[in-house]
Amino acid sequence: MSITVKVQDLVKYYGSGENLVKAVDHTSLSIENAKFTAIVGRSGSGKSTLLHMIGGLDRPDSGKVYIGKTDIFALNEDRLAQFRRKKIGFVFQDFNLIPSLNVWENIVLPLGLDGKKVRESEIEELLVQLGLQDKRSAMPATLSGGQKQRVAIARAVAANPAIICADEPTGNLDSQSELEVVNLMKKCVADYGQTLVMITHDEGIAQMADCIIVIEDGKVVNQS
Amino acid sequence: MKMVTRTAIANMKYHKSKNILTGIAIFLTSVLLFLVPSIGFAFMDTEFTLVNQTYPTWHALFRAVDETTAAGLMAHHDIETGGLRSDVGFFYHENANITTCYMDSAAQKLYKVELSEGRFPQKEDELVVSEGMLKEFGVSADIGDTVTLPFQKYLSDGMDFAADEEFTICGFLPDNEASLKSHTFMALVSEEYLRNETPKEDIRYRFLFRVADADGQTTDEIEAKISAIRESFNIPETGMNINEDYLMANHTDPAFFTAIAIILLVVTAAGIITIYSIYYVSMAQRVQEFGKLKAIGATKRQIRQIVLREGLCTACLAVPAGLVLSTLLMRPILTAFSKTISQVLDSSTNQIYQNIIDSHEISLYRWEFYLFAAAAAFITVYLSLFVPMRKAQRISPIEAMRYQGTPVKQTLRKGYTDLTISRLAKTSLMGNKKRSSFTILSMSITGILVVTVATILSCANPKNGADNNIYGHYVLELNTESGNREHPEREWNNLIQKNPLTDNLKQQIEHLDGVEKVVDFTWLHIETDLEGSEEIGVSGLLGLPESCFPELKKGILEGDASWEDLLSGDKIILNETIRRWLPELQVGDTLEIQTSDGNHTVTRSLEIIAIGNYPYGMVKHNFLLTAKEAADSLLPEDCTGYFHVFADQNYDKTLENNLKELMGDRELLSMTTWKDEYEVLRTFMTIMRSACTAFLAILSMICVMNLINTMVNSIHLRKKELGMMQAMGMTGSQLSKMLRLEGMFYTISTLFLSVGAGSILGYAAFLWAKKDGFLSVAVYHFPFGAVLIVITVLTFVQLLLTALLGRSVKKESLIERIRFSE
Repeated sequence: MSITVKVQDLVKYYGSGENLVKAVDHTSLSIENAKFTAIVGRSGSGKSTLLHMIGGLDRPDSGKVYIGKTDIFALNEDRLAQFRRKKIGFVFQDFNLIPSLNVWENIVLPLGLDGKKVRESEIEELLVQLGLQDKRSAMPATLSGGQKQRVAIARAVAANPAIICADEPTGNLDSQSELEVVNLMKKCVADYGQTLVMITHDEGIAQMADCIIVIEDGKVVNQS
Repeated sequence: MKMVTRTAIANMKYHKSKNILTGIAIFLTSVLLFLVPSIGFAFMDTEFTLVNQTYPTWHALFRAVDETTAAGLMAHHDIETGGLRSDVGFFYHENANITTCYMDSAAQKLYKVELSEGRFPQKEDELVVSEGMLKEFGVSADIGDTVTLPFQKYLSDGMDFAADEEFTICGFLPDNEASLKSHTFMALVSEEYLRNETPKEDIRYRFLFRVADADGQTTDEIEAKISAIRESFNIPETGMNINEDYLMANHTDPAFFTAIAIILLVVTAAGIITIYSIYYVSMAQRVQEFGKLKAIGATKRQIRQIVLREGLCTACLAVPAGLVLSTLLMRPILTAFSKTISQVLDSSTNQIYQNIIDSHEISLYRWEFYLFAAAAAFITVYLSLFVPMRKAQRISPIEAMRYQGTPVKQTLRKGYTDLTISRLAKTSLMGNKKRSSFTILSMSITGILVVTVATILSCANPKNGADNNIYGHYVLELNTESGNREHPEREWNNLIQKNPLTDNLKQQIEHLDGVEKVVDFTWLHIETDLEGSEEIGVSGLLGLPESCFPELKKGILEGDASWEDLLSGDKIILNETIRRWLPELQVGDTLEIQTSDGNHTVTRSLEIIAIGNYPYGMVKHNFLLTAKEAADSLLPEDCTGYFHVFADQNYDKTLENNLKELMGDRELLSMTTWKDEYEVLRTFMTIMRSACTAFLAILSMICVMNLINTMVNSIHLRKKELGMMQAMGMTGSQLSKMLRLEGMFYTISTLFLSVGAGSILGYAAFLWAKKDGFLSVAVYHFPFGAVLIVITVLTFVQLLLTALLGRSVKKESLIERIRFSE
C-alpha cells in the first residue's frame, strides 16, 4: 500500500478557556495513494479544519502532515505555497472562481503561478472531458452552479497535482449536478492517478468512496 | 437618538478605515478653506495697517480755505473728520527747511503727529520742535526752556524778513531718518499765536478731511465724493490735493478677491472629487449592506440619510480638528512671511511691520472665516455625497442578494492563454475600468495643477526677472511727476529745461570703475489722440539708439521696420502691451501726437509700421517706440530720459555709491538697480513659492487619500480572491508583485497624465505669464525638480501602501480570507 498522506497527532484549537474549541484533537490517519477518500462527520466536527491542514491552507498548533515524504509544515510560507501549486488541487463548496478571469484563465491559473507553459491541447481535452468546450471565454458570473464547479474541478486537476482536496464540492448543487460532479472527480482520479480527499455530508457520495474516515469532536472515530 | 442616525454612527465606526480617509480629506480641506482667506486677508490687513501707520490718513485737502468755508466743510454730511492746518512761516536756516504751522487736534491725528515728549502748544509763545531741528541751529534745550530763533512769517502778499523770535518749548516731535537726512523739519505753534499774528480775514487754512463711509468704497467713488464737496463750496480744482498714495494703498484690487475665490474653488473641487471618489470606490463593498437595509424596510429617504449622516458625522469630527490646526498655524505662517519680507523692507518700515504682527493689531482669527470654512467644508461633504446617496437608494434587495463582490459586466472575454503575474494584475485593473479611470483622473487633476503651477514657479526666476525688468544694471531716469502743484519743478517740460541727464554726467559714469557702457534713451512727454490714453498711461515717446535696433527688430510680431524707417521720424513700432486696452490698433494705423517743452508745441502723425513684444526693462511703460535721433529732433531741448548703465557685474556696492554721488540732486533723478529688482523679485518669489508649495502639498495630501482608499478597497474587496490565488499556490512575493504592479499602474498612469497634461498646460500658462508680465516670467524652464518630487512622492506613497497593505493582508490567515464574504 502506498501512502500519500500521513497525519500524525495533529492538533488545532480555537479560542481559550470556556470558549476553547478543539477543532482537531490529536488526530492521526493515513490516506492511500490514488484512492477516493471521503471524510464525513457532523457540522462542527472538525472535518473542514482537518482537510485545510491536509491541504496546507491552515497550520496546526502541533502535529505533522506528510505528503509523500514531505513534512509540509516544516516548509516556510512561500515554499508551502509552491508545494501546494505543484502537489495539491482544491475544490470548494462555493466554487471560489476568480470573477475577473474567464473560464480558461481560471483553469490555467495554478500553471501560470508555477511559471509553467500551458499545453493548450491538454486543457482543451480537459474542457471537453468536463463539457466546458464552449465556455472557454465565458466569465464565471455567466455560468450555472454545476458549470462553475466543473471549472473548479478542471482548475484543481489542470496542474496534475498528487492530491485533490474537495470541501463539500456538491453542497451548492442540485442532485443531478451533484452526481455529475462526483463522477467527474472520480473519473479524473482514475484517469490521472490522483488521490481525492473529499468532505461530504451526503451518505450516498461517501459510499462511492474507496475509504471513509469518520470524524467526531476533532478525532477520527472510524476509518474503513 | 433616531435609528437612522444610530445606524449612520454605527456605519461610521464599522467602516473605520474609509471614514478615517474621508476624515483626513475633510480635515485638510477645512485647513485650506480657513487658511487661504485668513492668510490672504491678514496680509492685506497688515499692508493696510502699515500704510495707515506710515501715511497721513486724510483723503484730501482743500487749500486756502477761510474760516467760514472751514466751518461749512466741518458740518458737511459727506465728511467724517475734518482738520485744520495753517502755515505761519519758516524758521530761517540756510541748509534746513523748517515749516512752522498750527494744527488743530483733528489735523494732528490725520497727519499722525505724535509727540515724543511734552504737549501741543496752547499759549502764544509755546512751540513744539524736534531735537534735530534745534541741532541745525546748534541749540540744546529742554521742555520749559526759552529759545530765540530767526523766524520768517508768511504775509498776505508774500514773506516777511527773518527776525529773531522767542519761544518756550512745550513739546518735542520725534525725528526720523528721512527728515534728518533731508534736513526737513516741522515746528508747531498754538492757535493763539496764529490768531494774534495774523489778521482774522487773512487766516487761511488747509482743510484736510476723510470722506464719510469710505470703507468698502473704491478709490474712484471716494474721489468723486471729494470733487462733489469741492464743487459745492466753489473751491477751485487747483485748490484741491487728493492723498493718492494713501487712497491707492488702501484700495483693494478686485483681482485679489478673484484669486482667493479661484483658490477656494480649487480646494472645494479637490475635496469634492476626493471624498466622492472615496465613497464611490467603497460603495461597491456596501451593496449588500444597503440592500439588506432596504429588504428590512428602510425607505429611499432613510438610505440617503444614512449615507449623508455618516459623512456629516465624520465631518463633525474632522472640521473642528482642521480649524484648530489652522488656528495654530496662522501665526507661525505670518511670522515666517514677515521674516521673508523683512529682507526687502527698509529698517523703519520693517520695524513697523514686525510690530503690527507682534502686537496683535490685526485680527488673524476672524469668526466669519471660521464660519465660512466650516460651512464650506460641510457643503463640500454634502456635494461629495450627493451621487453616492442617490446610488445607495437605488440598490434593490434582489441586486444585493445576488451581489458577488466585484461585479464583472462582461459575459465573454478572450483572455490570455498563459497567465503571468503581470497579466493577472492587468486583468484585475481592466475588470473595473470605470473605477480605475475615475481614480486616475481624480488623482491626476491635482498632479496637473502641481505641474502647471510648478512650471510658472520654475520660470519665475528672479535673475531672469531682474534681467527682464532692468535694461543694464543701473538705470538713472528723470523723476518726473505731472499735475503735482506742490512740485512744479517735477513737470517734465520744466525738468528738461535743465536736464540733469547730461553728456557730462554720462561721461563721468562711463569713467567709473566697473562700468562697461552707458546707453541713453530719449523720452518725450506726449499727448495722443488715442481713446482713453490718459487712463492707459500713454504719455511718452521712447527714442532708442541704433545699438538697440537688433532687439527691437527681434521683438517684432507683426509688420516690419528698418532703422531708416524709424529715423524718418513719422514711423513707430508699437509695444504690443497696449493692445490689452486697445486691441483694435493695427499695423498701418496712424496716431496724432503732441509734445511741448512749454515754449514750443510740436504735432506729428506717426504711422504704426510694426507691433512688437519687448522686455519691460527696455521699454518700461512706454508703448510708442522710435529711433533716438527721431525723438531728439522733435524739441530743441535735451530730452534724454534714461541712462542704462551696463557694469561688469550684476551688483557692486562701490559703483552704486559712486553713481549716487554723481546723481547729486536726487529729487530730480531716481535710480533703480538690478540688485534691488532682484531682491524684490527673489523675496516675492520665495513667498509665492512657499505659499504655492504649502497649498499644493496639502492639496496633494487630500488626493493621496484617494489613492490610499482605492488601494485599500481594491485589496479589501478582493480579499477572498487573493486568498484563493494563494491557496492555489501564489507565493507572498508573487502577491506583493501583483499588488505592486497594480499600484504602479495607478501611479504611472497618474504621473503620465499629470506630467503630460501638466506640461502642456504649464507651457500655456508660461506663455500667458510672459505676455502679461506675471512674476516677471521671461524664459521657459521645465519644472524638473517639481516633477521629480511628484514622481518620488507618489512612487514612495504607492510602494509604502503596497507594502503595508500586503502585510495587513498576511495578518489574516489564508482560511479566514478564503471564507471572507463581503
